[in-house]
Amino acid sequence: MKISYERRKALYGYGFISVWLLGTLLWFLVPLFESLCYCFMDNAQLKPDVGGMCKVWLWNAGQSMFENFKYVFAGDPEYKQDLLIVLKDTAITTPMILIFSLFIAVILNQKFKGRGFARAIFFLPVIIATGPVYNIISGNITSTGADSSAQFSTLFETDIVGELLEFLGVMKINSHLSDMINSVVTNIFGLIWSSGIQILIFLAALQNIPVSAKEAASMEGATAWEYFWKITLPYVSPMILANFIYTVIDSFTKSNNLVMERVLSKQLDWDYAHAASMVWSYFAIVMLVVGIVTAVINRFIFYEVE
Amino acid sequence: MDTEKKIISEAADNSAQEPMLDNQIPACAIPDVHEAHEIGNGMSKKQAMEIRMQHMNRQEIAYLRRKQLVEMCWPLFRFLILFGLGFVILTPLLFMISYGFRDQIDMNDPTIIWIPRHLTLRVMKQTIDAMGLTQTKNNPLVNTLVLNVGCSVCQVITCAITGYGFARFKFKGKNLLFGIVILMILVPTQIISIPLYSTFRNFLFGNVNLIDHMLVMYLPAMTANGIRAGLMIFIFRQFFRGLPKELEDAAYLDGCGPFMTFLRVMIPNAGASFLTVFLFSIVWYWNDSYVAGAFFTNTKTISLVLKNLDDILNIEIFHNANANVSAREKIVWLEAGCLISITPMLILYAFLQKHFTEGIERSGIVG
Repeated sequence: MKISYERRKALYGYGFISVWLLGTLLWFLVPLFESLCYCFMDNAQLKPDVGGMCKVWLWNAGQSMFENFKYVFAGDPEYKQDLLIVLKDTAITTPMILIFSLFIAVILNQKFKGRGFARAIFFLPVIIATGPVYNIISGNITSTGADSSAQFSTLFETDIVGELLEFLGVMKINSHLSDMINSVVTNIFGLIWSSGIQILIFLAALQNIPVSAKEAASMEGATAWEYFWKITLPYVSPMILANFIYTVIDSFTKSNNLVMERVLSKQLDWDYAHAASMVWSYFAIVMLVVGIVTAVINRFIFYEVE
Repeated sequence: MDTEKKIISEAADNSAQEPMLDNQIPACAIPDVHEAHEIGNGMSKKQAMEIRMQHMNRQEIAYLRRKQLVEMCWPLFRFLILFGLGFVILTPLLFMISYGFRDQIDMNDPTIIWIPRHLTLRVMKQTIDAMGLTQTKNNPLVNTLVLNVGCSVCQVITCAITGYGFARFKFKGKNLLFGIVILMILVPTQIISIPLYSTFRNFLFGNVNLIDHMLVMYLPAMTANGIRAGLMIFIFRQFFRGLPKELEDAAYLDGCGPFMTFLRVMIPNAGASFLTVFLFSIVWYWNDSYVAGAFFTNTKTISLVLKNLDDILNIEIFHNANANVSAREKIVWLEAGCLISITPMLILYAFLQKHFTEGIERSGIVG
């Protein structure tokens, strides 16, 4: 039997991804589906058993379908608070990380002496920050008071910003805003330490800006400020979206993520159904927000037409 | 924009006229000038600037002054910003080095912050022993290295093959399958860890217990499903998509099948990309404590040991009553442990830093 070249290539395509497909079925899709099912199973009876798990669907146990979610949001004493804290934290730090990493990437993209060294330092967190090292260090540094950011933040602890705003008569937003600024300043350590990859990606995008655009801008006498808004920003805008998604996903795996800690402690208590419901609802909320933000950002992104 | 042009034309005019303006310039500043471009040879930049400015209107002068000011100040600001932030980044490292090598007595001396008075290697040695880095059986370092290197090699190879499949072939359901790859990037490991645990616990229909066996890390890595595999497949797919199609056609004409094309033509081109992904894989496996923590109970890895360092130290070093170590003094051991566990990565980074930072650009993740 003769198979056309196109057909044969398609078959080879399946061949190339077959290993991954097998693995994904076994280690990803099936567990994913199963953990989704856990959300609708009786928590009390969901226990490891000989040859697998003992599974009883909620409706078979005579309970309502959303019993687990009801428990997680109404019954669990800490989950809701933790979730709110983590969501708020992510909402504040994500834009900060994006702005900060773009700023640093722009600076590191300029020509100056010792640029290689500066880059090496700024990517250092990529190597270390992901481990439990971060937890130990940040705890110890704060407890010994040698924290540079703590010293830094005492500058602001007198609430200069708040007083300034009060002075300006913006009474309503002042506490929120100064809270926000305060949390950013005290957390500058965490902020810098979690933006290594983002800087890297922005830097790569900056280096992809064609020289012709740069030349045209300087011929027209664009100032650095104009250049940033009219040239740099449009060119890196696709990467802003990518970095946004990466930052959000990265916040899942942060070692000090309260929700994930809570999930872990539930798992250790054999409360599998509750743990699954917690992590799924957290994931669903975050993905919903990411979806909306992506849809909005997508309208402003400049894609170079090829 | 107009100002700029004016300045340029004006400057050209100026230099053409310059030789005739002798009376306006202090005589000593002018050596004999024959050609327009020789102007300024004998005088300082400032003088030349002053001469040029005499023929500009106020706006132009203001423009130049501002530009000069910005160009002068910016490097200073840049230095301050980079220095400050660089210091924040390096603080933990300096902190570890400063605390890891000092005696515990120094912790009770309020006059000591950064520079220890009693330098000692005792704490380091004790921590190394406590972490089990000297024992021959179940050595965390050996475990980690075996896991790290093996899994990374497997994972890079399988992810490259998968990425190539997604980049270069058209087949039904490709978009759907690639959607799964994206899903792999998005879904946190915590979601699938419980079912995965029971899968490994009852492997092969409940006949084999794989928990605590290194296969729990190796099996997913060998099938392109290890730690952050989705991201790696994505990177490889972007990279292979960027290679010219002519390469493939030429190989086909020369009688290469698709797999040989991949092996003989594509891989040699992807060296830098391979190295970058491999390095990141090593780092991610080294730092992973969640996946290892979920499936290992007795098998120790560096990252797991570090996660439980507090408890381990309590058992190994502070267990006897005479130890009498305060919480503040414990920091010395904790920091020593941190320093020990990141040293291999730091060395790796110091030597291969270029591949970490430039590889991503070359691998074409952007674009």
